Amino acid sequence: MMNIPIRLRTALLAAIILFFVIVLYFLKRRRLTLKYSLLWLLTGTVMLVLVAFPELMMFLSRLIGTQSIMNTLYLLILAFVIILLMMLTSIVSGQTERIRRLAQSNALLEKRIRELEEEFREKAGKS
Amino acid sequence: MSVKNKVLLMIAAYNEEENIERVVDDLKLHYPQYDYLVINDGSTDSTKEICSRKGYSYVSLPVNLGIGGAIQTGYRYALENQYDIAIQIDGDGQHDAAYLEQLIRPILEGKADYTIGSRFIKKEGFQSSGARRAGIHFLSELIRLLCGIKIYDVTSGFRAVGIRSIRAFAENYPTDYPEPEAILDAVMRRERLTEVPVVMRGREHGQSSINLQRSIYYMIKVTLDLIICRISYGVRREKREDLT
Repeated sequence: MMNIPIRLRTALLAAIILFFVIVLYFLKRRRLTLKYSLLWLLTGTVMLVLVAFPELMMFLSRLIGTQSIMNTLYLLILAFVIILLMMLTSIVSGQTERIRRLAQSNALLEKRIRELEEEFREKAGKS
Repeated sequence: MSVKNKVLLMIAAYNEEENIERVVDDLKLHYPQYDYLVINDGSTDSTKEICSRKGYSYVSLPVNLGIGGAIQTGYRYALENQYDIAIQIDGDGQHDAAYLEQLIRPILEGKADYTIGSRFIKKEGFQSSGARRAGIHFLSELIRLLCGIKIYDVTSGFRAVGIRSIRAFAENYPTDYPEPEAILDAVMRRERLTEVPVVMRGREHGQSSINLQRSIYYMIKVTLDLIICRISYGVRREKREDLT
């Protein structure tokens, strides 16, 4: 079956529009930074293009040799999810590194402040 | 060397309220000429309060970073305050302060850049269980395979480090179980490593950070760490200008 039924196309379109609304809502409420949502927006755009031009899907199906267009769609979604997860893991790793550095700097600064306070107190006591 | 070397003793402590006092007081008594720094790794017991009450020189991490992150704090402190040699000592009293001088000597004499206190050279004192020794032997062989240098006690946390490695470790120190990887990293930077025979004690209080359940995770993680560390340095080791 090398065609997407019109009903499915409509459903997919609705889902993608809902997806965009949610992403934009989060962006507006500042619960997503643009930097990380770019990936989501890109995913949505690619999906939109594929639904708008099913010929692309048919071409892709022939290219990778899948039996039906639906399988290609599932494969694409899976690929997107895997890429997103890998990027998230990479972001988490980067943040762990930054938290470590910050905690260390915090501890070193705390020691300096403590010593300065003691010095200050001693001076105040003498005069 | 004309200028007197500044030496920092770094004592990493995570929930060591039962040991920390004895360890630090012992060091202060025998080595008043050296500075020391207790690194409280986000302990949930009274380790920090003890340090504060006793007026120790300490830094206190707001969250638990694990031994790697804690020791790195010490290296950053050593770098900021221009120390020439930094010494790692565990806060649990396993490491005998009597061996400090022997540990530093090769660095002072310019014969080594990085020394490791080793249980397995004279085979005296606390030797650890058979299974653990087998694990250590495996990691030791793996390191030899990866860089050609044989170090016997690769998990020993009793170490003295010269200025080049202080600088490198302040920038980048392995996390989680850092000891074997730190050795490989130093070798890859063309540091000269020496093992110094020491006698270690078994723990008197508290739990070792590596229990039986974690051993498998430990072995897999450290093995992968070592291989990845080796790969990230490329085929040839870095050149070192000050030695020919």
